[in-house]
Amino acid sequence: MKVLATYSIKGGVGKTTTAVNLAHEAAAAGARVLLWDLDPQGAATFFVRVKPSVKGGAERLVSSAGSLAASIRATDDPAVHIVPADFSLRHLDLELDDTKHPTRRLAELLVPVADRYDVALLDCAPGITLTSESVFDAADALIVPTIPTTLSERTLDQLTRFLAEQADAPTLLPFASMLDRRKRLQRDLVAHLMRDVPGFLQSAIPNASIIEQMGTQRAPVAIFAPTSAAATAFRNLWIEITERVWT
Amino acid sequence: MTPAATFHVTGNERTTIEVLTDLGFEFGEPVATTTTLLDTFDGRLHRAGLRLQATESKRVELQLSGHHTTPAHVAVETPPRVPADLPPGPFRTRVAALTDVRALLPQLRISTRRSIGVLRDAAGKVVATAELHEGAQVVDRPGIGCPAPTLEIHEVPGYAKQTERALEALRAEGLEECESDRLTLCATAAGVELGGFIATATVPLDPSMVAIDGFRLVLANLATTIAANWQGTIDQTDPEFLHDLRIAVRRSRVVLANAKRVLPADILEQTRNQLAWLAALTSTPRDLDTYLLEWSKYTDPLGADVAPLLEPVRELLEQRRTDGHVELERGLRSERAATLMNSWQAWLTEPPASDALAARADRPLGRLVAQRIARAHGLLIERGRLIDPDTPAAQVHDLRKDAKKLRYLLECFGSLLPKGARKKYVKRLKALQDNLGEHQDAEVHVHMLRAVATELHEAGASADTMVAIGQLTERLDQQRHAARVEFAERFADYDNHATQHALDAMLDGIAE
Repeated sequence: MKVLATYSIKGGVGKTTTAVNLAHEAAAAGARVLLWDLDPQGAATFFVRVKPSVKGGAERLVSSAGSLAASIRATDDPAVHIVPADFSLRHLDLELDDTKHPTRRLAELLVPVADRYDVALLDCAPGITLTSESVFDAADALIVPTIPTTLSERTLDQLTRFLAEQADAPTLLPFASMLDRRKRLQRDLVAHLMRDVPGFLQSAIPNASIIEQMGTQRAPVAIFAPTSAAATAFRNLWIEITERVWT
Repeated sequence: MTPAATFHVTGNERTTIEVLTDLGFEFGEPVATTTTLLDTFDGRLHRAGLRLQATESKRVELQLSGHHTTPAHVAVETPPRVPADLPPGPFRTRVAALTDVRALLPQLRISTRRSIGVLRDAAGKVVATAELHEGAQVVDRPGIGCPAPTLEIHEVPGYAKQTERALEALRAEGLEECESDRLTLCATAAGVELGGFIATATVPLDPSMVAIDGFRLVLANLATTIAANWQGTIDQTDPEFLHDLRIAVRRSRVVLANAKRVLPADILEQTRNQLAWLAALTSTPRDLDTYLLEWSKYTDPLGADVAPLLEPVRELLEQRRTDGHVELERGLRSERAATLMNSWQAWLTEPPASDALAARADRPLGRLVAQRIARAHGLLIERGRLIDPDTPAAQVHDLRKDAKKLRYLLECFGSLLPKGARKKYVKRLKALQDNLGEHQDAEVHVHMLRAVATELHEAGASADTMVAIGQLTERLDQQRHAARVEFAERFADYDNHATQHALDAMLDGIAE
């Protein structure tokens, strides 16, 4: 099982929409996917219509080895299962801190379900916290949505420098998110990122209203708009990620 | 997906749907659906607890599911024949890991009218599903299928309560639960064994039965394996058909060689000669199948620069493999082959004429087999002791054949022997066989390469290719030499009291 995480220090950059759509694309390509919603807002959980409820809350989830399996729910795609989030995950850092090896804990929790899935996709809350350090330890690759602004480029740089100091850091897979191709400044910035930032993916996700409709449709874009540019962009993004991670 | 439960719908299926609609299930219109179950000839997916089903719609929807695994799905243009036909990714990797070189063959094709029902919660999330199948028929088998409509309830992980509620309602309605699911019911009706055909040498035997009966049972089982793999070998469906056919022929020859004065002399002689002809036909194509399947194992260690230079070698071997298969196919389609199989299977099926029984035909099987195994063991020891560093390679090869004959005897009459004792003895024999196999494989490949080198040189192959052939030959020659050096130690590990003790423990019980 490969462990991937949609992660960014910044919030509101498209982590959750990316996670949900990539989970769909991975399943469509034949993978068995476990989507793990680690964000107390529970947006990924909401998008797949699952009740935001963690049995026993964050404390039980973190403390018991079999708790992850007990929390798993199927989504409407039989190949995509989810570990839902609820508001108790706001204490996840504290709960992790109470464990013996906090930064290794998420990886340990995934071990019992590793033979049931081909991909675990962790949707993270923003910021660099104890939880994110545990994600860095568990993940083979971090998928980093980067909106085309100077500040976003700066946070990507911060993350790159932080990971450079870590042993066995995951592969960094940044990509352009919420790109408005009508804006020349954004086009130029993305061209620069794709050209000059090592590992920056060549697929870009557009800033499209169809992606916003996920909130009302409560499904991945490819389900309700399979021929849209956004659906195609997520498909291409997944193909590019698989080429980087599986080869 | 694998259903949580399947029900026979013996009454009005609309009423059954009403039971579920009362619970909140919403059913779509029935749709004509054709599903094909794919597996290898020997049912490798089935044995791994998995089902690969191809449902035809605009594209072919493939689903890989099982009782204890998350289902996976992928859409393709045409059903895959081999895992390489699947798109790259975990789906292909999982299937390929189980099937290896075997082809995916349609085991069962079922057409049905399917109505799908879903139960959703307040958020619109699917929490249970149901499938009503009417008129399930095995394609091209008129009248074969499920006589009554079936209703399958599928559990959605994390929502067990909703499924249980649906099951309770259906049971309360008096619906009869099937012991197996629709696919298994159709397979049973069609006489399709979902576990596939497994080529095994072992048949149930009793040490006290008369020898001729035991030998005939073993040989009949091997003849069934030969016949089962016949067409797949002709069609080159996958390389395992030829492998299994060849091994069954070789085992038959070894059993016949040990059947003197057990089977009638005329039958024995005639069949041995005919099977020797059949075995010879299979040699070249099988050797080249193996060599080409393992080609990268030989060439990769030489480095990425060298492997492409050996492409002319691979192409020439591929051509020879094709020629060998053409000759094999001609042989298998010949009158001679048909006569061999028909008369051999007929003789094995009919009771033997009492006036034609050989001298030892009515001896107890156990004692006779124990004598044959002890003799084969003794011969192996005797000939092995004659091998020294200067012994010609052909003599080492003969020793390998002796070891193989002994191994085949142990496999074919394995059910007579105590399992634990047999395992201990075979472990010791196998260690010796591995060494002899490494030596012989390298020896054969070196000879093959030298012949190919001469041919390519005369055809004007590049100097780089000739150098690359030299590198590969040298590497194989080193392996051959290493195996030969190691032989003395391996044989000493076999030729000792521990092996004799293991042999005695294995044969003691049946020799009395």
